Amino acid sequence: MGDVALQTAPKVAPSGAGDQRRERRVPDVAFSIGAVLLLLVLWYVFSHSSLIKAGYLPSPESLAETFIDLARNGYQGRPLSEHIAISLFRALAGFASGVIVGVPVGLLAGYSRRAGAMISPIMAFIRPIPPIAFIPMAVLYFGLGELGKIVLIFFVSFNYVTANAQAGAANFPIAYRRAAQSLGLTRAQTFFRIVLPGALPQIFTGLKVAMALSWAVVVAAELVGAQSGLGFMISDAALLFRIPVVYVGVALIGAIGLLLNFSLNLVEAKVVHWKGR
Amino acid sequence: MPDAPVGQSKISFAGVEKVYSSASARVTSTRALEAFNLDIARAEILSIVGPTGCGKSTALNILAGFELASAGAVQVDGNVIVGPGPDRGVVFQQASLFPWMTVLSNVVLGVKCRGLPREDYEPRARRLLVEVGLKGFEGHYPYQLSGGMQQRVQIARALINEPEILLMDEPFGALDYQTRLLMQKLLLRLWEHFRPTILFITHDVGEAIFISDRVIAMTKRPGRVKREVRVQAPKPRDYEFIGSAEFTALERELVMAVQSEVEVDEVPAAH
Repeated sequence: MGDVALQTAPKVAPSGAGDQRRERRVPDVAFSIGAVLLLLVLWYVFSHSSLIKAGYLPSPESLAETFIDLARNGYQGRPLSEHIAISLFRALAGFASGVIVGVPVGLLAGYSRRAGAMISPIMAFIRPIPPIAFIPMAVLYFGLGELGKIVLIFFVSFNYVTANAQAGAANFPIAYRRAAQSLGLTRAQTFFRIVLPGALPQIFTGLKVAMALSWAVVVAAELVGAQSGLGFMISDAALLFRIPVVYVGVALIGAIGLLLNFSLNLVEAKVVHWKGR
Repeated sequence: MPDAPVGQSKISFAGVEKVYSSASARVTSTRALEAFNLDIARAEILSIVGPTGCGKSTALNILAGFELASAGAVQVDGNVIVGPGPDRGVVFQQASLFPWMTVLSNVVLGVKCRGLPREDYEPRARRLLVEVGLKGFEGHYPYQLSGGMQQRVQIARALINEPEILLMDEPFGALDYQTRLLMQKLLLRLWEHFRPTILFITHDVGEAIFISDRVIAMTKRPGRVKREVRVQAPKPRDYEFIGSAEFTALERELVMAVQSEVEVDEVPAAH
């Protein structure tokens, strides 16, 4: 039992905990903070210099004021939180429905050769089309209301989720398949207990792309036809030449996108705890 | 366990041939096995050694039911193999434990999926894990274990089905020398308890002699049986057996048999 004694077996840790390069004297995060600070300083200097025409590049402090004003008084009769909430609702509703339909379809296409042969060519044709090209069709068939936007985002999310779930199920190691067979698992048991969890790392890769695109597309859709949401806010403010509002809107879109990705990473570390080990 | 009729072997390869046809017309198909005949007795431990690519794993895969023979037949208790099944436990060389399941879940997966009650399989799985030296590791995940411990889990996962046949495809090939010796002794101890018929594939001649009743050396591709030796030393065996007169003589014989196959392909050295 010599090899037993050698084991210290750490408990499940979040991804990245095993990184050996942490021993350097200056941590990487210091460089990240430094780069952001440098950008802020440059921004401050440029916005106060005479190089740029007044009003085109708002200063950092005027953005902070605008943000506080928006948070207090809202925009075009709606509180800022409502604009954020409606954009989030559209993006997440479309994303989630795309996941609910896309994961099973993708897994099936990856697991069954015939299902894959049916689905793959259609998906391969649709995938390279930029999602925003479908906006006119979404407006045409589903109108300017919530449904059109959610259907559009569903479509985007479904595309990327399906592709990755299919790859995850198709690239599943032959040793797993053989082990499952020799243990006497049925085809259905193999699918649910082996193929599905085995594809999870790749499914999460798809979820992250789909999430980022859902958020990007909701803003694009709101630019075109909406009376609320962050996309509406920035396009409307631009027409009224309220440049600081545009900047605050863009910054909020970025921050929320970052937050969405971060939450998904947390879920991933919890669910796919074996990834990369 | 019903006894097989007298004179009938547990496992029988009769005229087995395996050809891998190539997709491209310009590349000729590969003949992995040719006229492969082998009988294995009940509760016998038989090892196959041979050069890389000689078809020894192909023979195991056909017996496991993972691949079909192009000609000839493999029989277990007189029945032709048509597919994989839990009556033939398999231990793979590569990591084939499911990384999202704990050690205990990996071991019980097969019996659980066949609808056995938890009161039956869980105590058995826990006892089996004690027996392979993994007491206290039931809740660990495979990535938290060393290579040797992962192979112990694989063995327990195969044994929980109480298979009459255990197929092992270079199971200790990736382990360091000391761990490999430990695993070989563990295997012999488990054999004392469960008495399965074992087909063991290895490229390590010493390992084959240490654990086996009989060792087969194969020719290079297409693989046929080239040499067969019987190991007389009684089981259980200890490390003293390694280096004994019998061990050394068998080792020399088998190494010569295997190396002469390898060196056919080599560019002749300057004489």
